[in-house]
Amino acid sequence: MTRLKDPFLRIEHLEKWYGDLHVLRDISLDIAEKEVVVVIGASGSGKSTLLRCINFLERAQKGKFFLDGVKIKPAEKELNRVRQEMGMVFQHFNLFPHMSVLKNVMEGPVHVKGLPKKEARDIAHRLLDKVGLDDKADTYPAMLSGGQKQRVAIARALAMEPRVMLFDEPTSALDPELVGDVLKVMEDLGREGMTMVVVTHEMWFAKEAADRVIFMDDGVILEEATPEKMFTAPEHERTQAFLKQILPQE
Amino acid sequence: MGNIIPWNFSVIPEYFFVFREAAFYTLQITTLGILVGLIIGLLVAFGKIAKNRVISHISGAYIFVIRGTPLLLQLFIIYYGLTTIVTVPPFPSAVFALGIHNGAYIAEIFRGSIISIDYGQMEAARSLGMPYTRAMRRIILPQAFKRAVPPLGNQFIIALKDSSLASTIAVPELLLRGRQLGSSTFMYMEMLIIVALWYLLMTSVLSYVVHRIEKRLRVSDRDQT
Ligand SMILES: Nc1ncnc2c1ncn2[C@@H]1O[C@H](COP(=O)(O)OP(=O)(O)OP(=O)(O)O)[C@@H](O)[C@H]1O
Ligand SMILES: [Mg+2]
Repeated sequence: MTRLKDPFLRIEHLEKWYGDLHVLRDISLDIAEKEVVVVIGASGSGKSTLLRCINFLERAQKGKFFLDGVKIKPAEKELNRVRQEMGMVFQHFNLFPHMSVLKNVMEGPVHVKGLPKKEARDIAHRLLDKVGLDDKADTYPAMLSGGQKQRVAIARALAMEPRVMLFDEPTSALDPELVGDVLKVMEDLGREGMTMVVVTHEMWFAKEAADRVIFMDDGVILEEATPEKMFTAPEHERTQAFLKQILPQE
Repeated sequence: MGNIIPWNFSVIPEYFFVFREAAFYTLQITTLGILVGLIIGLLVAFGKIAKNRVISHISGAYIFVIRGTPLLLQLFIIYYGLTTIVTVPPFPSAVFALGIHNGAYIAEIFRGSIISIDYGQMEAARSLGMPYTRAMRRIILPQAFKRAVPPLGNQFIIALKDSSLASTIAVPELLLRGRQLGSSTFMYMEMLIIVALWYLLMTSVLSYVVHRIEKRLRVSDRDQT
């Protein structure tokens, strides 16, 4: 386990059960500011659950969480504050269908942060422009392609000015030709210094953008390494077997 | 030749507007009953979803009892049954019976439409740091209300027709007036057909309005993502 000196986010001894199912086992993880961490692992290994525990959409039964070295108290009010610092992007976008694209992005700033509408609108336009969709500001999510939806979802999360972004398989519900645009936005984000935890099986993204790759297996972090090391010389047999499945065969 | 059909339908136009006041009664019972039903329905729907076991069980029991017994019985319990404690006049009895009865059905409609909203919507809102109740109000309920419109419209039409049960406790609404005029004019069939025409008129207007609202609401979202 890599222990960092001043981690931005620290998770200690996280345990999560669903009923009798032990989904996360003694997970400890440090994430540095501006670090991009890619999480890989087989289906059911607990990747989504880990992300959802990090921003408390799921409550872990055990474990301690620290943000900037300060322990997060799992009280509702505190969690609402902590979640504002963590943007989350979902596999199925989860845009608000009853609001225009612009309103989706403004929702957080206006109705969580309480910013004036005008200010929030400027932020929203700037972010939509950043993800290449400002011309869609007045349309409704139903009119967008999957890739466009996901970019709006990224803009919506960014509008809260989070300090870390969590991505749960952001491109796995997309048609292959739409994946690139979304990953491009994420790559830029990482380059600008956003701290990110990304669950993805897009290996070129991991190679291009990740500082560290984590392999999860059956609820534990089995291995972590730089992308080069992970993809060329993984240590564990399980990691090797998994990578063999998902990496293009030469 | 005139004897083939034993009724004289040519009196229908003449008598049609004699039923105006009765129709107004029907409309009033229905509207007020639905209003009471909407209030009860909203409270009971939230009650049943509530994490608090006691509240959720009380709400469940309410729905169980009301849906499992006839409206006519509920009306009689209010109008006749309560007389030992309090005498409720016919009109309010009808309104409350219809309201209490529809409250149970409307609660199930609201509850169904709330839980039909993809859980990802709540999660997306919470992930922005939005508190639960605000997420409910801003994200879940607007979508749920939209989905509730068609079944609510249907329920309102049922309520309109069910208001005819008020005729059994002497509220001078459409059906009672139909029976009274039928016996005084000896033209039962003719009067009852007029009653039918009034109901058809009102249910058609109601369906049309619901249909228009549905159409208007559908503009923004074609799918659920
Ligand atoms: N809400 C839940 N209730 C019960 N079990 C759950 C729940 N969510 C996840 N699980 C179980 O927990 C385990 C880990 O699930 P998780 O979704 O974290 O896996 P994952 O690594 O994200 O998989 P995938 O690649 O398929 O998304 C699985 O066995 C799953 O069936
Ligand atoms: Mg997952």
